[in-house]
Amino acid sequence: MSKTYEYVPEPALVKGNHDFKDITAMVTDINMRPTPTAWYIAFGISNILLLLLLVSIAYLFWEGTGIWGLNQPVGWGWAIINFVWWVGIGHAGTLISAILFLFRQGWRTAINRFAEAMTIFAVMCAGIFPAIHVGRIWVIYWVFPIPNSMAMWPNFNSPLLWDVFAVSTYFTVSFLFWYVGLIPDLATLRDRIKSKFGKLIYGTFALGWRGSNRHWWNYEKSYMLLAGLATPLVLSVHTIVSFDFAVSLIPGWHTTIFPPYFVAGAVFSGFAMVLTLMIIVRKIYKLEDIMTVDHIEKMNIIILVTGSMVGFAYAMEFFIAWYGGVEYEKAIFIIRATGPYAWAYWIMIACNVLSPQFFWSKKLRRHVAFTFVISIVVNIGMWFERFVITVTSLSTDFLPSSWGYYSPTFWDVVTYIGTFGLFFTFFLLFLRFLPMVAVAELKGVMPQADPHNYDNDGNYVPPKVEIPEPTRKSV
Amino acid sequence: MSDQSNQTTYWKSLNELAQNEEYKKYAEREFPENATELTDQVSRRSFLRVMGASIALAGFASCRKPVQKILPYSRQPENMVLGEPLFYATSMPFQDSVTGLLITNNEGRPSKIEGNPDHPASGGRTNIYHQASVLGMYDPDRSRSPRHDGEKVSKEEFYAFAQEHFSDNSRRVLFIDEASSSPTYHRIKRDVLNTFANAEWVTYEPFSENNAIEGTQIAFGQRLRAVNHFDQADVVVALDDDFMNPQSGKNSVENALKITSRRKVDSVEDSMSRVYSIENAFTNTGSYADHRLRLKTSQIAPFTFALAAKLSESVNGLDAFSGVSNDFSNHDWIEKLAAELLNAQGSSILTAGAEHSAETHAAVAAMNLALGNSGNTVTYHQLPYRENRNEHEAFLNAVNELKAGAYDTVVLVGGNIAYNAPADLDLAQALGNVDTAIHLSDYYDETSRVCNWHINRAHYLEAWGDGLSFTGQSSIIQPQILPLFDGLSEIEFINTILTGEVSTGYDLVQETWSSEIASDFNRRWEEILHEGLDTETGFGTETVSLSGNFSSSLQDALSQQAIDGIEIAIKPDVRLFDGRFANIGWLQELPEPMTKITWDNVALMSASTAEKIGINPRRSFRNNDVPKVRISAGDSTIEIAAWVEPGHADDSITLTVGYGRENIGRVADGVGVDTYPLRTTENMFVQAASVEPTGTTYEVASVQDHHTLEGRDMIRTATLDEYKEKPDFATFESFHGFEVPGMKEAEARGTADQGPVSLFTEQYGPEHQPQWGMTIDLNSCFGCGVCTIACQAENNIPVIGKREVGRRRAMHWIRTDRYYEGDVDNPTAYHQPVPCMHCELAPCEQVCPVAATTHSEDGINQMTYNRCIGTRYCANNCPFKVRRFNFFNYTKEYLTTGDDPEIIQMAMNPEVTVRFRGVIEKCTYCVQRVNRGKIKAKIATGSRKPEDGAVKTACQQACPANAISFGDLTDSNSEVSIQKRNDRNYVMLEEMNVRPRTSYLAKLTNKNPELT
Repeated sequence: MSKTYEYVPEPALVKGNHDFKDITAMVTDINMRPTPTAWYIAFGISNILLLLLLVSIAYLFWEGTGIWGLNQPVGWGWAIINFVWWVGIGHAGTLISAILFLFRQGWRTAINRFAEAMTIFAVMCAGIFPAIHVGRIWVIYWVFPIPNSMAMWPNFNSPLLWDVFAVSTYFTVSFLFWYVGLIPDLATLRDRIKSKFGKLIYGTFALGWRGSNRHWWNYEKSYMLLAGLATPLVLSVHTIVSFDFAVSLIPGWHTTIFPPYFVAGAVFSGFAMVLTLMIIVRKIYKLEDIMTVDHIEKMNIIILVTGSMVGFAYAMEFFIAWYGGVEYEKAIFIIRATGPYAWAYWIMIACNVLSPQFFWSKKLRRHVAFTFVISIVVNIGMWFERFVITVTSLSTDFLPSSWGYYSPTFWDVVTYIGTFGLFFTFFLLFLRFLPMVAVAELKGVMPQADPHNYDNDGNYVPPKVEIPEPTRKSV
Repeated sequence: MSDQSNQTTYWKSLNELAQNEEYKKYAEREFPENATELTDQVSRRSFLRVMGASIALAGFASCRKPVQKILPYSRQPENMVLGEPLFYATSMPFQDSVTGLLITNNEGRPSKIEGNPDHPASGGRTNIYHQASVLGMYDPDRSRSPRHDGEKVSKEEFYAFAQEHFSDNSRRVLFIDEASSSPTYHRIKRDVLNTFANAEWVTYEPFSENNAIEGTQIAFGQRLRAVNHFDQADVVVALDDDFMNPQSGKNSVENALKITSRRKVDSVEDSMSRVYSIENAFTNTGSYADHRLRLKTSQIAPFTFALAAKLSESVNGLDAFSGVSNDFSNHDWIEKLAAELLNAQGSSILTAGAEHSAETHAAVAAMNLALGNSGNTVTYHQLPYRENRNEHEAFLNAVNELKAGAYDTVVLVGGNIAYNAPADLDLAQALGNVDTAIHLSDYYDETSRVCNWHINRAHYLEAWGDGLSFTGQSSIIQPQILPLFDGLSEIEFINTILTGEVSTGYDLVQETWSSEIASDFNRRWEEILHEGLDTETGFGTETVSLSGNFSSSLQDALSQQAIDGIEIAIKPDVRLFDGRFANIGWLQELPEPMTKITWDNVALMSASTAEKIGINPRRSFRNNDVPKVRISAGDSTIEIAAWVEPGHADDSITLTVGYGRENIGRVADGVGVDTYPLRTTENMFVQAASVEPTGTTYEVASVQDHHTLEGRDMIRTATLDEYKEKPDFATFESFHGFEVPGMKEAEARGTADQGPVSLFTEQYGPEHQPQWGMTIDLNSCFGCGVCTIACQAENNIPVIGKREVGRRRAMHWIRTDRYYEGDVDNPTAYHQPVPCMHCELAPCEQVCPVAATTHSEDGINQMTYNRCIGTRYCANNCPFKVRRFNFFNYTKEYLTTGDDPEIIQMAMNPEVTVRFRGVIEKCTYCVQRVNRGKIKAKIATGSRKPEDGAVKTACQQACPANAISFGDLTDSNSEVSIQKRNDRNYVMLEEMNVRPRTSYLAKLTNKNPELT
């Protein structure tokens, strides 16, 4: 005996009943319209911030790392915090494009291009910090295993060296992945754009894409392979970043929970950043039909899950500190919560653990303005998480005689603000010149791309699926 | 100053360059006599030999850098190997005693100072003043020429003036000098007084032993110096006497060496003397003592009399005190101290701080006599050069006469009386009014500016001289370099005044000694120069007996009461003494041993006094701001930062002097607050004062922000009795109650001798010899900080200034951590020197991405500066936080100060790289000394294993407590191996399994069971 179940269809990923042409126009017209004044204003502000970054880096190179607030117990400060923070933000892009691709999550297509671009620019911002925070920038190339007259390899035991490899690999693969995904859309732009120069540029980068079956076949294969390559990287890069801390012996750093905890935190902050940007962009470029409230809700659920994972990690750290019985470990967690940096700790807890809990409410997680606020709060919280980890552990470690407080200087702050200049400069260029939604992929998840289950009028008819009733035998 | 800045030499031909006057001068100055031929007529051959390098440099230099000339020896002096330092014996005078030293001399530049092992005041050890004096000599801010009415003049002009002015023997001349023990100086002084019939000669030291000597006058009717033999004593009672520190004890090194030697514990059989300290501010001696009682400074005298009264019940000779009854008569300590002293008759020492009243010293002297200590643990000596008068009163009388117009000429031999004499004397005014005032001094200072004539003084490392040690052994001071700034020594100066002629210090000293040395002058002279002292000399010991009118002369003092309300005590500064060392960066940056403050003086007070005044006794961990207070006494008011010192006596404020300088030099100017205005003839030491908060704050740079151990095990301590019961009290297991994690597994594997099991490849390589290791005996360390300065001198560690220290970037490779334990009002303090631990499984080495820090096969954790890229990961991962980072180009700032940087560069150790911006540095176990030792051993024996004691680290060599042992761990008979086998041996953070090579010996205290 069998029973017929009704298959509950997912709501359409693209609202507003657009056809393919509409979608193409919605996305690529943005690149072909004359540049809006607002873009110039935003770009100008970003450029000023970028200049600020360049000035602060130049001054840093001239004077030395002493211009920052670093001191004797606290050898790593804002530079490393910002590095981890930006790398973490970068996570969302690859997770959305690679992992969600492999899991066949169709909704990713609305945001993957956009999120990947964010990843690349965030990793660029991140990559600046480990390079400039060293004392002697002019010999930074010694961290690369290149043949040299000293006949010396770098120290392969050092997590910082793993970092060099992890971050550069991650950047390379993310970039390739992004570019491969862009090719069909670049061809679309090439075909649509009027200016000769535009045709030349887009045409060059479209690599002769004609949309032939063979092209699509190759494209799908390579995209799939790159997604497979990028997936472990999503996990590995932040794992290795966490090794910078976990491999050391400083209390509060030396914990095995760090890799999963860092990855969860990275996804958490990355999704928050995607949301922040997306909520603005969908409004300005009128892409609400593509980046729908359903997308926001899904992302909010991920934020809720990863935020709770992070919260769980915080709790586990405390538990293990107590359970592990190492007195320095115990002390550092008590100091974090009650000591000189308690303010930072409680900002972190409030932003990262408490604020996502609002998303248990369906109403709130579908509320765009509220989501926007929380997404910013989450990124503030994640910055403070890195601050708490980096600074408190160093500031109050083993020997109480060495304990010392760390405060940033003007230049710490300016360098950080400057990286937003770099990020938004690139991001605005991306919005202006590249299709911010993966048009070809998006079309693939529209109902029109799946010509089954429609009646003659083009109306969707849910398939009737027969699922056998569980029998005693089969159980 | 500018004569060097204009040095850039442009030349058209070799001839022109060769004729360059300044060039020849430079050559003369940098190298000792007879080292170069250039002083003579330049012969073509030798000239060409020396020119090569300098021509090359000069060619470059004319483009952008000032000309720097180097000059090899054209004829190698005997015994000199280039690159091999030579060691010369000399002595450093400090007030009227000298300490024997050995100077490391690199190609004519003295660069490092060590103690002379044969000298009794040194025993091979030094204090911070000795270590820092070499930088004092290379101080570019020292005065560089005589001045007349503020204008620079030549030395010849002064000679001409002196000859003319002092040709009139009837001149009414007042000489005011610093304390000196130099036989030559006193010989010329006698001649001066004989020649100038109307002359008066007085001595002024702002902090002298005058009161102690007057005390013996009251007690014994003789003016004598008390010498304490701490190594003989079983019980030591220090009455506000920080005798282990140099500001309070002219023979602090000897004191420290002796008292710690009596308290060395190698096994449970050993005994320790018991030290009591009764004091106002927490001092190093107080922290070293087994029992410490905090009393207001003004309570010390009543306490002393009460103690004497108690003792008078049991011993003869203290009748003067019987019946004395004051606030302390029933004090808990009096009875117990008395019992303790009576038990140790003939083997105890009472000693009082030099600043305390003559009556207090008299009481102490009488007690030492009554207890039978005199002649045993305390000996009394006549000072041959000292006038039999109260020198301080003589000075005051002379100043009054000066003001009354009794003198037309004042000659100031050293000193800085306009700055440091009692404020009410207003000597600046008085000196300004006198017709002729001549001041010999190192700096163009406060006094120089009010005198007509200023003569720049030669440093003791630059000039011939002589002197007597604290116990009277005579030494010759031999110069290590020609005077950098062409200064005059004291003896040359007064000799010029006496004779109007110019004689060299060498001739003057020889003249004195030729009458001392009976026969075979040259041989004996050279012998004394070589040995650093004449071993056959020394003060005769006086037998003392109580003076007849002892009782009556004490009567007034006995009823003296402590100051009601808040008192201030003005003391010499541990680092700057009376201000004479104010321009020495090493000392300014040395953390004050108890407060850990650098670059400032503060008003020390207890927490409850702070609350009483109305300031918050809690210091913020987050910033360096501390409240300021306004202190008014008499007519003077100062504003100074208040600093709460745990263990300070209540209602009492301790101030130190020497700060608040203006126009002295780049280092001293603007540092701290001048407290001398509060010091008057009536109130030289302690007085009542009113104190109120100003409501403002002041930034203080302290190197330690957290002061308790939080129950951690870095310091392990027990009483002597507990140790005897449980000799292994210091092990990890005894301290924590469980074994080090991983030890059981290691035992099962049979590797327990190397430590717990580890994931890492063992770096410990016993198959390679030698293997270096260090122990630091916390039972000996009293936290003086000389290791820090010795290390700074040896390893070219830069001075970074208050701002950078305040940002917690101090560069010292060895620091002394100071922890308080117990009650905030009455804590115990512990000192722990922390250099690099040279971990066998060093966590720093694992994390460096470029392998800039690695292990040597003889067990040293090495730092390769020119491979370092400055990620600071190693510093983060160092559990002991001993790694230091060059956040800025500190060395450049430090070594290019002012317009002639080469002067301070000359103080650098040529064997140690100076570090550039952006690299990590840290203790190397003085690897340059280790390698020199290995090379020497290899040459001598063919083995790279130096014999034990041949290699000493700078900190070890300087330590006056003999707390640091260093040597080869593969030699089971080496000192360090023996120390490591001591029951009390432990390493910090043993459970981290980093296996430090530097270990500690736990601290012991010899508690009086009655008092605990």
